[in-house]
Amino acid sequence: MTRRLNVRVDHSCCVGNAMCLATAPGVFAHNDQRQSQVIDPEGESEEKILEAAFNCPTGAIRVEIEGGERLFP
Amino acid sequence: MTVADLDELFAPEVVADPYTYFARLREIDPVYWNERFQLWVITGYEEVVWLLRHHELFSSAIMRNSTSPPYPPVDPEDLPLFDEVREFRADQLVEQDRPEHLHQRTVVHKYFTPTAMESWRPFVRDAVAELLDELEPLGRMDVLTDLAAPLPVRVIAQMMDVPWEDRDHLRELADSILYMNRGEPYRLRPLTEGMRGIVDYAAPLVEERLDRPGDDFISILAQGEKAGIFSRHQVLVNTGLLLFAGHETTMNLICNGLLAFIRHPDQWDLLAADPGGMVRLATEECLRYDPPVKSTQRIAAEDVRLSGQAIHKGDRIRWIMAAANRDPSVFPDPDRFDIGRQPNPHISFGSGIHYCLGVALARMEGQEVFRALAERFGRIELATDEVEYQPSIQFRSLKSLPVSWARRSR
Repeated sequence: MTRRLNVRVDHSCCVGNAMCLATAPGVFAHNDQRQSQVIDPEGESEEKILEAAFNCPTGAIRVEIEGGERLFP
Repeated sequence: MTVADLDELFAPEVVADPYTYFARLREIDPVYWNERFQLWVITGYEEVVWLLRHHELFSSAIMRNSTSPPYPPVDPEDLPLFDEVREFRADQLVEQDRPEHLHQRTVVHKYFTPTAMESWRPFVRDAVAELLDELEPLGRMDVLTDLAAPLPVRVIAQMMDVPWEDRDHLRELADSILYMNRGEPYRLRPLTEGMRGIVDYAAPLVEERLDRPGDDFISILAQGEKAGIFSRHQVLVNTGLLLFAGHETTMNLICNGLLAFIRHPDQWDLLAADPGGMVRLATEECLRYDPPVKSTQRIAAEDVRLSGQAIHKGDRIRWIMAAANRDPSVFPDPDRFDIGRQPNPHISFGSGIHYCLGVALARMEGQEVFRALAERFGRIELATDEVEYQPSIQFRSLKSLPVSWARRSR
């Protein structure tokens, strides 16, 4: 069974670049400000989620194992 | 500054001080119709961000869609060269709309992520140190030609993975491409020479790296061609884009930022007291206060209402980051240069899908320069009575920035 992830988008630095929506569309979607929001932390593989976090140009995405270790940044 | 005619977007007074002029426009209407030049001028923060995040309503394909002539005017016999400029620029990533933009950006995006760029910091720090080691004993420099221009070319040459001895040639090409943003009536000639020069220079490199890719930027583009995402022309003009976009903007960040520090010695002292601790916030404030790029364009792709104004499909739009960055509804005391400012959600890198690809590199180059200057020098003085800017609506580019300093007693 896969571990559960805690995925958050920091709206004080998200600029709506939307690369995360392209990389992991099952996890991220636009809110009404056209910033990214997490719709389902289990909507894509862990690999895709981490790729989205790594690719964020403002480092707005944080990924942790639920109740544990921080994976990104 | 007084501009009697609010439509005089290109007046010398506006070039010298865009802030007063655009603040007046913003007070009148953050979505202002300029009758003379037939375009919308967007100066409100909220309006600019909304526009940038609705890319489906506002096209970035300016060169393909706009028929406006070069401004300031060029020698009439050079006008045919403008078609060549259009063709070159129209194929660059910044001029693409979705879906092509997403496919192309995905190819190059990974190269520029904050984490990937952080690995370049030692190279940038060494390059800054090397330049300053030579300059420091002289006691004076033109920041533009001696520091701000050579630094980004060194970094870009390394990113393109070209031989060290080609740097001077690349610097010449970069200098020619800078005519993109100049006012001289003859400028299309050096500009097109530079464009052809970069295409001729990059062509054999692309050929070579299609088959034997490295981890450099040209190889990344070449692999994009192999995957059917870029045409060869797009690979070549995007190599030119890296050279131009990484050069002009970084130059302006360094020059405009240092000028702000010279004019606000109290802020310089704050940075100098703790360069390592303050430089990140300080660089953000330099970016906000006097941004490298003043404004950029869009063309309405649909009829759309913005702040009560009816924008029609096909209308030209200029959004002014220099004005949005000083919108008092977002930035308290916006005309104050305050390196401790936090939060500082300036839009000097834009917003939305076209958010500056080179953001992490630009930030790092700015940080490393301001930090090194603050660590090495005491007070830096302006060695001229007045400074002059290139007559560009888009870039905030000083023509030169002569300074002098006394060695700091340590």
